[in-house]
Amino acid sequence: MATEHRRQHRIMLVREWDSQTSGSGCCGRLGGEHCDVGHPDTFAHNRPLMEAMGVIYRALRSELPRDAVEITVVDPRNMVWLIPTILRDGRRRGMGAGELWRQVNAGVRNGAIVVDGRALFAHDYAGEDATVDAVLRELAAASA
Amino acid sequence: MKGKRAVEGDHPGKGRPLPAVVVFVAVMAIFALAYRFYSVYLAEKVYALDPGFVTPAHEFEDGVDYVPTNRHVLFGHHFTSVAGAAPIVGPAIAVVWGWVPALLWIVLGTVFAAGVHDTGSLVVSVRNKATNIGTLAQTVINPRSRNLFLAVIFFLLTLVNAVFAIVIGTLFDSSPEAVIPIFAEIPLAIFIGQYIHRSNSSALVPSIVGVIVLYALIVVGIAYPIDISGVAEAMGMSARTLWIIILFIYTWIASRIPVWILLQPRDYINSHQLFIALAVIFLGVLIGMDTMTAPAFNSVEGPRNWFPFLFVTIACGAVSGFHSLVSSGTTSKQLDRDTDARYVGYMAALGEGSLALGAVLATTAGIGIVGLDWGAQYADFATASDGALGNFTQGVAGFASNIGVPIAYGTVFAAVVVISFAATTLDTGVRLQRYIIQEIGEIIGNGPLSRNLNLSTTLAVLLPLGLALAPAGENDTLAFGRLWTLFGTTNQLTAGLALAVIAVWVTKGGRNAMAQIVPLTFLLFMTVWALIINLREFVSNRDWLLAPLDLAILVLAGWLIVEAVVAIRNARTEARQVGAPADRS
Repeated sequence: MATEHRRQHRIMLVREWDSQTSGSGCCGRLGGEHCDVGHPDTFAHNRPLMEAMGVIYRALRSELPRDAVEITVVDPRNMVWLIPTILRDGRRRGMGAGELWRQVNAGVRNGAIVVDGRALFAHDYAGEDATVDAVLRELAAASA
Repeated sequence: MKGKRAVEGDHPGKGRPLPAVVVFVAVMAIFALAYRFYSVYLAEKVYALDPGFVTPAHEFEDGVDYVPTNRHVLFGHHFTSVAGAAPIVGPAIAVVWGWVPALLWIVLGTVFAAGVHDTGSLVVSVRNKATNIGTLAQTVINPRSRNLFLAVIFFLLTLVNAVFAIVIGTLFDSSPEAVIPIFAEIPLAIFIGQYIHRSNSSALVPSIVGVIVLYALIVVGIAYPIDISGVAEAMGMSARTLWIIILFIYTWIASRIPVWILLQPRDYINSHQLFIALAVIFLGVLIGMDTMTAPAFNSVEGPRNWFPFLFVTIACGAVSGFHSLVSSGTTSKQLDRDTDARYVGYMAALGEGSLALGAVLATTAGIGIVGLDWGAQYADFATASDGALGNFTQGVAGFASNIGVPIAYGTVFAAVVVISFAATTLDTGVRLQRYIIQEIGEIIGNGPLSRNLNLSTTLAVLLPLGLALAPAGENDTLAFGRLWTLFGTTNQLTAGLALAVIAVWVTKGGRNAMAQIVPLTFLLFMTVWALIINLREFVSNRDWLLAPLDLAILVLAGWLIVEAVVAIRNARTEARQVGAPADRS
C-alpha cells in the first residue's frame, strides 16, 4: 500500500487545506474535521474546492498506477516546496525560462493541477471527466 | 529585585571570544547526529515504525481529508503550523542565565523531549485512525483525561492571549516604527485574500508583492513612527497598556470575522516571512563571524533561579505540548508511510529548535554588533523579560547589517516579523478560547454563554486582558516574566499529557517507554517546582489574581501526575499479563 517516491510522473493538486498553516505557533490548529479545540465549520469555505479536487483525485488515482504516477495534494501557501518542484519538473521537460515562469505563476493557484511541471486549472474544465481527460492528455504529452 | 552579573568564564576557551558560527555549526551537527541516530532508535525500537502498516491516509483515502502526501510537502505544512513567535520569546528571556544553559536546554529538550513528543503523538494518532490527542487521552488513559486536557488548554489559551498581547504592545511601544507596516498588513492581507479567491488567480505574485510592500512600508514607518505615549499619558496609563487595550479591541473584531477574510490570507505573507527571517539570521551569523558577547553562565539574584525556571521559560523551542494537536489532528491524516513519521515529526522538532537557536544567537551575539551592553540588558530577570523582545530585534538587526541591511531598518524588520506571528497567534488564540467558552456554556447548560457570540468573545478577551493589565503596575517590569513562566508551565503540562499518552501506548505494545518517561518526569518535576516557587511568591506579595491561577495549574499538574503514574503502571501490568502483544492498537 505504501508508495515509492521516485516515479516517472508527478501530478500536484494545488488547493488550501481546511487549517491554518503559518505563524500560529502555540495555537496551531483551529478547525477542520474532528478538531480537538476549535470548530469544524471554521474553514467551511475551503470544503467545496477540497471536495471537488477530491473527486478528481479519486478518479485519477483509479486511472493511474501508483508506481508510475505520484499524485500529491499541496497547499498553495507551501511555495517553498511548490515553486522548486514545478521548476524541476518543467526543466526536465525542456521548458525555457519564460515558459517556466508562466507555469510557476499558474501553478501557485488555488485549484491548479500541475502535471509534470505544466499547470492546468480545475475550473477551466467542465466536470470531472473533462478534467481527468485533460490531465491524461498532458501525461501523454509529457511521456512523448 | 536587583540582579548582578556574576560571570563564570565569559567565553569558553581560555577567555577568547567564541564565534557565534561555532555555536551554530555545533548545534546543527548535534541535531544532525540526533536525527541520524536517536530518531532511528525511536523509530525502530520505541515506536516500531512499520513500512507495511496501512496508514489512515491510505485506509480512508478520499483525496479530501485523508491523502497520502509526499513527506517533504507534509513536513512543510507541519513545520509552518508549529513555528511562531513563542520559540523566539522564551530563549530571548532565558539567556539571562547565560547562553550555555539556554542552549543546553534547547538542544537536549529538542533532541530528547520535543523529538520524542512530536514524533510520538504523530505515530500514536496514525496507529489509532488519525484520532486527535484529546480523544486519545480519553481512550488510551481514561475518560477523565479528556477533561484534564480541556482544562489545561483553557488555562494555556488564556495565558497565551495575555502574553502575546504584551509581546505586541511592548514591541509597538519600543519600535513605534513598526506600527504603520503592521497595520498596513491587515488591508494588504485582506486584499490578497480577496484577489486570490475571487479571481481564482495565482497567489505567487500577490504574495511576493505583499511581502515587498510590507517591507517597503518599513521605510515609511521609520519616517513616521506612531508614538502614542502622549495620548496614553493623557489617559493616565503607559503606552504599552494602551496598546494592549487597542490590541484586544482589534482581536475582538478579528476573531469574529470569518478566517478567510484576514487570518488565512495573512498566511500567504507569513509563510514567506518565516523563511526570510531564518535566512537573515543564519546568513548574518555565517557572514559576520561575530562573537558571543554574553557570558556562558550568569547568576541571577532573586527567586527566579535557572533551576527550575529555565525549563518553563523555554517551552516552545525545547518542547511544546501544542505540537501534539497539529501532529494528531491534521498531519496524521496525510502521512503516506508509517516510517515517514520520523522525518516529519522529528525534523519539525529540530526546525523549531533551530528557530530557538536563532533567538539565542541574536540575543547573545547579535546585540553586540549594534553596541548594546549585554550586562545592562540582562541585569536581572525582570529587566531580561521586559527587554527580551527589544534585544531580539536589535540582535537580528545586527545580523542583518552583516548582509548590508541598515540597522534601523533591520530592527523594524525583526519587530514586524515577531508581531506578525504574535498577532496571528493572538487572533487564533482568542478565537479558540471563544469556542471553549461556548463549549463550557453547553456543558453547564448556560444558553447565552453557548450561543451568544458577543458574550463568549467578550469573555475570551476580558480574561487575558485582565491578566495582561492587572498585575502590571506601571513600574512592575516583572509582570511579563511572571505570566510568561506561567504560560510555560501550562505548555509543559500539555506536553506532559501527550507524553503520558505516548508512554502508555508504547508500554501496552510491550516496548520500553523510558524515552517518554524520562522527559515526562523531568518536565513535571520542573513544572511543579516552578509553580510552587511562584505560588509562594504570589501569596507573599498578596497577588490574589495570579496566586489562584497558579494554584489551579498546580492542581492540574498533580492530577496529571496521578493519571500518568496509574496509567503507565496499569499498562505495564497489562503488557506483562498479555505478554508483549502486537503494537498495532
